[in-house]
Amino acid sequence: MPATLLTRCFCAIYALLLNAYPREFRRRYAGEMRQVFSDRCRQVARAHGWPRLVRFAVASGADWVVSAVREGIDAIVTTRRASARKSAPRGFVAEWAMTILVYLFATTTLVQAYVVPTGSMEKTLRVGDHMLVDRLTYADPGSAALKRVLPYRDVARGDIVALLFPEDVRQTYVKRVIGLPGDRIHLVNGNVVRNGRRLIEPYTQHIAGTRDPYRDDFPTAPDMYTSPRGRDMLLHHVRAGEVVVPPGALFVMGDNRDNSSDSRYWGFVPREYVVGKPLIVYWSFDAPTEDLENWSLRHVVDVSLHFFSKTRWDRMLLVPRSQAAVETESEP
Amino acid sequence: MSKMKSATELLPLTPPVFHILLALSDEERHGYGIMQEVARQTEDALQLGPGTLYGCLKRMLAAGLVEESDERRDPELDDQRRRYYRMTALGETVARAEARRLANAVLAAKSKRLLDRRAEEGKS
Repeated sequence: MPATLLTRCFCAIYALLLNAYPREFRRRYAGEMRQVFSDRCRQVARAHGWPRLVRFAVASGADWVVSAVREGIDAIVTTRRASARKSAPRGFVAEWAMTILVYLFATTTLVQAYVVPTGSMEKTLRVGDHMLVDRLTYADPGSAALKRVLPYRDVARGDIVALLFPEDVRQTYVKRVIGLPGDRIHLVNGNVVRNGRRLIEPYTQHIAGTRDPYRDDFPTAPDMYTSPRGRDMLLHHVRAGEVVVPPGALFVMGDNRDNSSDSRYWGFVPREYVVGKPLIVYWSFDAPTEDLENWSLRHVVDVSLHFFSKTRWDRMLLVPRSQAAVETESEP
Repeated sequence: MSKMKSATELLPLTPPVFHILLALSDEERHGYGIMQEVARQTEDALQLGPGTLYGCLKRMLAAGLVEESDERRDPELDDQRRRYYRMTALGETVARAEARRLANAVLAAKSKRLLDRRAEEGKS
């Protein structure tokens, strides 16, 4: 009898089609739907014969398309509404996760907090200046198109830069860029002579009363403070009494010329060691160097007790500016 | 009571929902029973497919218009996959409200002479 065969066939197909419904709906109703479908098939076949059975199957197919779509949409809407209702605890976690993500992104690619631990940039930056370093400006984006979009700018003479200390990259130093690749540098009586021109640098300070031949008339015979790296520079990069900055390197100095550990003592800074550009001093606290390098309980107590008196309010939100030195025309 | 307030909010009912409620108004039925009763009520004008039927039942269960029954009314056809449904008090309220709404609509149609006896006879 064709009707029974058809019935069995349609029931098998319908069982397959039921998979189109959302899982929750299927779990709850699929069994009943199959039962109803087979009941109806059998009854139609018995009462009206196989042509009506085919018509019923076609109608059920249309019903399947419409209701599967409807239940699918329903399931999506319900899940979304349920998750919106649950949003109090999940929103809290999601918000914090987002905050942490943004923070990590910001602190790894955009800005970095930095504390000036030593007085080598004194006059421009003071010990205890807490500042944000803009990591984006000097970060080479790689392609010319990106360079146009991002606020990229190459390091220039006179820029204040945060850099990884070449002798120990765990430390970050802030120095001023004096020489770019190709520049010839030497000092005469504490004054920088760059490419044969004496610089007038309004941002420097000289505190020492006595003259130090290496420090003030660099590059001369290295003294006890000159590191092996600095000696290497003296050995390989001095031409006719001048240091010549090699490609991909920078010659940096502190503004506190007489008391600064800088390129004179430990050599050039590879360009890729430049971390960024000091953006703003957000807090300046009068504390000794050792407290700023390693936070101790004493420092925490010091900050909490003397926050108002030891904070240098006048340095708040100070922007350390790059400043080009004036190049005099003549040889000194 | 919020449930009573929601009774009028549910109006107007879709034809499948209204006819399922009508089918369940006198006794509880399983899915196929509902399907047969709806077909009988509407003289085969409304043939519910399984997808439409259970989609409606799902929403009616959620709205509290019907509920599942534990009793098995039809011992001959009884098996695990057959669940019985019955109308709740809210379902009855809603069905009455919908019937009243439809009756008003029919009265309005009559007053506009859209429903005179001759037209009706001509159709059937």
